[in-house]
Amino acid sequence: MTAIPAGDATLQHSPKTHGFTRTMSAVLTNKLAVVGLGIIVAFILFCYAGPLIYHTDQIHIELSRAALPPSAAHPLGTNEVGYDQLGRLMVGGQTSLEVGIAAALLATVFGTVWGAIAGYTGSFIDSAMMRVVDALLAVPALFLLLFLASIARPTAWLLILVIALVSWLGPARLVRGAALSLRTRDFVTSARLMGGGPWRAVFRHIAPNAIGIVVVNATFQVADAILVLAALSFLGLGIPPPAANWGDMLSSGISYTYAGYWWLIYPPGLAIVCVVIAFNFLGDALRDSFDVRLQKR
Amino acid sequence: MTPVVTVVDLHTDIALSKGTVRPVSGVSFTVNKGESLGIVGESGCGKTMTALSIMRLLPPGGRIVGGSIALADVDLVAMDEAGMRRIRGDRVGMIFQDPMTSLNPCMTIGDQVSETVLLHREVTREHARERAAEVLDLVGLPHAKERMNSYPHLLSGGMRQRVVIAMALACDPELLIADEPTTALDATIQKQILELIDDLRTRLDMAVILVTHDLGVIAGHTDRVAVMYAGKIMETSPTPELFANPRHPYTEALFRARPENAGSDRKLYAIPGLPPDLSDPPRGCRFAARCAYATEECRAQEPELTGDNHAFACFHPLGINQQAAPNPPTPLATAQAAAPLLEVRNLVREFPVTSNGVLQRKIGAISAVADVSFTVGAEETFGLVGESGCGKSTISRLLVAADTPTSGSITFDGIEITGKSNRELRKYRGDFQLMFQDPYASLDPRMRVGSILREPLVIQHRGSAVDQENAVVRLLDEVGLPRTALRQYPHEFSGGQRQRIGLARALALRPKLIVADEPVSALDVSVQAQILNLMRDLQREHRLTYVFISHDLSVVRYVATTIGVMYLGKLVEIGPAEQVYTAPVHPYTRGLIDTIPLADPQRERRKSKAGVRGELPSAMNPPSGCRFRTRCPRASDKCAVEEPLMLPFSVQGHRAACHHPLRSPIPLSTSAHTAPPRP
Amino acid sequence: MTGFITRRLLQSLIVVLLVTVIVFILLHLLPGGPARAQLGPRATPTAIASFNHQMGYDRPVPVQYWNWLTQLATGNLGFSTQFNQSVISLIAERLPKTLVLTILSIILALAVAIPLGILQAVRRNNLADYVITFWAFVFYATPSFFLGVVLIVVFSVYLPILPAEAPQSASIQVILSQPGGLILPVATLALLTIAQFSRYMRSSVIENLAEDYVRTARAKGAGERTVLIHHVLRNSLIPIATLLGLSLPTIFSGALITEAVFNFPGMGQLFWTAAQTQDYPIMLGITVLIGVVTVIGSLLADLAYAVLDPRVRFA
Repeated sequence: MTAIPAGDATLQHSPKTHGFTRTMSAVLTNKLAVVGLGIIVAFILFCYAGPLIYHTDQIHIELSRAALPPSAAHPLGTNEVGYDQLGRLMVGGQTSLEVGIAAALLATVFGTVWGAIAGYTGSFIDSAMMRVVDALLAVPALFLLLFLASIARPTAWLLILVIALVSWLGPARLVRGAALSLRTRDFVTSARLMGGGPWRAVFRHIAPNAIGIVVVNATFQVADAILVLAALSFLGLGIPPPAANWGDMLSSGISYTYAGYWWLIYPPGLAIVCVVIAFNFLGDALRDSFDVRLQKR
Repeated sequence: MTPVVTVVDLHTDIALSKGTVRPVSGVSFTVNKGESLGIVGESGCGKTMTALSIMRLLPPGGRIVGGSIALADVDLVAMDEAGMRRIRGDRVGMIFQDPMTSLNPCMTIGDQVSETVLLHREVTREHARERAAEVLDLVGLPHAKERMNSYPHLLSGGMRQRVVIAMALACDPELLIADEPTTALDATIQKQILELIDDLRTRLDMAVILVTHDLGVIAGHTDRVAVMYAGKIMETSPTPELFANPRHPYTEALFRARPENAGSDRKLYAIPGLPPDLSDPPRGCRFAARCAYATEECRAQEPELTGDNHAFACFHPLGINQQAAPNPPTPLATAQAAAPLLEVRNLVREFPVTSNGVLQRKIGAISAVADVSFTVGAEETFGLVGESGCGKSTISRLLVAADTPTSGSITFDGIEITGKSNRELRKYRGDFQLMFQDPYASLDPRMRVGSILREPLVIQHRGSAVDQENAVVRLLDEVGLPRTALRQYPHEFSGGQRQRIGLARALALRPKLIVADEPVSALDVSVQAQILNLMRDLQREHRLTYVFISHDLSVVRYVATTIGVMYLGKLVEIGPAEQVYTAPVHPYTRGLIDTIPLADPQRERRKSKAGVRGELPSAMNPPSGCRFRTRCPRASDKCAVEEPLMLPFSVQGHRAACHHPLRSPIPLSTSAHTAPPRP
Repeated sequence: MTGFITRRLLQSLIVVLLVTVIVFILLHLLPGGPARAQLGPRATPTAIASFNHQMGYDRPVPVQYWNWLTQLATGNLGFSTQFNQSVISLIAERLPKTLVLTILSIILALAVAIPLGILQAVRRNNLADYVITFWAFVFYATPSFFLGVVLIVVFSVYLPILPAEAPQSASIQVILSQPGGLILPVATLALLTIAQFSRYMRSSVIENLAEDYVRTARAKGAGERTVLIHHVLRNSLIPIATLLGLSLPTIFSGALITEAVFNFPGMGQLFWTAAQTQDYPIMLGITVLIGVVTVIGSLLADLAYAVLDPRVRFA
């Protein structure tokens, strides 16, 4: 063999710096991502581990304790019906996070499948599927949600379902675009020329290459779903009490704006803002790390 | 001789996140009025950064850290930004590589050219536009006045490059810097643009710096040459001198790697290894690691660039007229009498053009491949050559059944493959494989090399998992990659290494036929030589048949036993490689040969006026009769009416379709009796 | 370009039809169906049955859809028993106000976001860029009703310089004559959009600054200002047209919340009131209308794109 094993210098990399580890290390070198991830972890601990340490009654109304300002017994005061605000922030956070994450996952999975089918098949089926997406996009989400929520009394599951119903459109468009461009790429053609079928093209080549944008988008979807849930709560169509979520807490607090009960407004408001920003930071950082990998391609 | 620009000991750094790269370290040269300097080198050698340093247009992080650049009497390094702005476009003009992206898509070409004038001269808009029309006319844009209000996307690549040149010349600069001005263009257009730059240089008495990777481009169009490697000038001299008598081993290696200089029975000289990492250049001579003549001295100490007229930086220069040892021979594939493996009959591929309206009616068709027939014998290399848009890539896709022809037939090893469904084709697919042009796009970025090479075996259910693992290791050995490559991802490899991986994948199923679509056109000349040698070795070992597609006739001549020349969907000439290359009969083939820039200044200057003129017509409405007639110097009325038939020109199967061939065909009867059954 | 326009028009028409299909499905999703929607929650089963027969709701679904569609086309969106008024006249009264709110906020958003985005791109990775990016994140992450309330607390409670409520009048003239009352709602709605648009503009300008044609312009001797204004700006603005079209649904959703917060008598508030009282004819009517307005808006945005980009205009 006369061929030269060229450029050995570039081949000396440690084989460990790949895949998941690599993405994680790229994410961890990004300060914003660390901040985002840190905030998310802190809130998860606060919401789930918090109630184990800090016991409060979030079931029974106790009007004698209503709207107390922050004190030693109630670090964040109590709300208008006497629930401890700090404890309620923990319980409410569970709902907000769960609904947000579940809706985002559901929307991402459904949207990805829809977009992948449309993009890979192309032609007539693609147009038909994408017109459905356009039509659903044309009806502003809140109008649709408000309508659906007014038909049935909302539960957490119903909210997850309806939020997912309006959120899958973004990932569907995104994945379709990616699939359309990926399926004409040389390496997909190459698999076909070896005799590989469409399943292999989709699952071995298109999906792994599109997964990056899907993950990034899912992160943003969580943030958006938490905001949508808050908006629905404000419009009076959140999950009814005694269950709580940050949006409900915030919107009921707002009715006491003029009474000066600031502890009913700012803690849930800031919690929403922080968590949403955190997910956005994380999404941005993930996108950058995926971009870097594609640039090095 | 008045020097226009004098560069002395230029050092340029680029700060990147992972360290500082030094693409230019100690470059000096002078360009006089009316003179043309060629800077030549492979990608990453610092030639473009040298050009950008003169313009002070370095990319983010880029900075001149030492040396001086004197434009007549002013030092450009010390100049402030406002002063530089007054110089750019006025005293120094620059042309860039890719005319498709270097024009603003949202501005008319008239506005873009007159902008240069408005920025530097106190004139009215009307005057500036008048000047713009004048310059556009000067650079040979047809109907310049009427085209002033056109947007760039309506122009072809060659025309756009003329507009870029017009912008650079609008203020009569003293110095014109052309950075790979023709690399993105077809050979026939390249020649026209290079001649235009030459012509303008003489007429306007400008100094020109021509930056290129192609020694052929340098040979015909420059007075002096500087050969750059790893940020330094290795050798510089008057052009004829350098070509007649290269002294630096790197210059010599560049010449020997060019396929045009190699007999097709010889191996190409391939420079081993890769250029050094410029963020941490080696001590000593930067070429030492790849140099055949290097000694301890070379690795310890850096040679100075010495000599007056002909300077070189080497401790062990080649002697004057010292003949380099000939390249080692490579046994030719003995395929001449072999049975046909691939038969293509009357192949037609049309792409429908639909109206943009509601019903998407079919309003026409792009005739990409029009009635093409040829035969490829087993273990032969069939070279298919032509300009971009001639249909050669479409044919490559048809041959491996990646696309279905509109009509015609393709028989592979006696089996008709057209009209078969994907499912039916599956069992034949292992016998014919495609090697792609772009080594970046053809490997899945998320798969390790091991999985990439195993994939074809998995798909075709060849052997057990252990067999497959072993086969993959064997493949890596065969294409000269280390076994550590198995666990790595494609982005960790250079372009040449990736092309090796692509070749290994094509080989995995032990095919009989490999269709290679421009397999080396994205590579530097030294790496190109490595891949071409490898392809030949593998052909011999595995008794492969190649269909080798390229725009570069000199590469095709080197690798192919038979050459087919395509023009606008038609096969215009076909025959044994040497016959087609040395004695072409079709005016298009002749013109194509004349447009190849040769690394030989004498031959280059002799053929100066020949070549194919004008631009490729649209394949949607191809010219009637002979499709080449609109650009043909020999065309007559007959060519417009009657389509020429393929006629034989030698008993070895040299045929061409032309009413006015460069010599007469042999009588049909003779050929019928003595010609072999192949074309 | 005519080809592009006809194709886009046809697509829009299909999308509008699909929007009506969606609303028609919603209508039938209601417990008790359209009859309940029209007669209200207290209607007796007999009344419903006779209504269904009378209105043809016992006929096959496609026939129903066709009838309903022809009603829509003639402007009959139903009747609101609560307001005792036809839906179309209710909408006609409210729509202009919502349009005033959204259009003003879009203009404000563009006027702020475009210069901000350019500034960020030019000074990228400088302090100014980081500060603006941080606030863009904050505004994007703030629920709009919370933002509205914070603005009210700051500007109407602590420094009482602006009214907390939008002008309550039936006529646009009156609303426009009290611009003070519009400032907070328009600002609330605009801030969200600004956050999104400025980030988009920033990356669009950065992308264009890296293009080859910018280097060509610099090689001509163009300074930063010329490069930005003559070359980059136009190329960067073209995608903003598309983004604007895509953002319309979000902006309308934002308007719904903003109107609710500031008690602004527009269509969003009407919709909200209707949702609380389960006045379905109003909700369905508004949904159809907003859908159509959105489709027309995106169509206009795409046409603007085609006009701005010569590659489409002369294709």
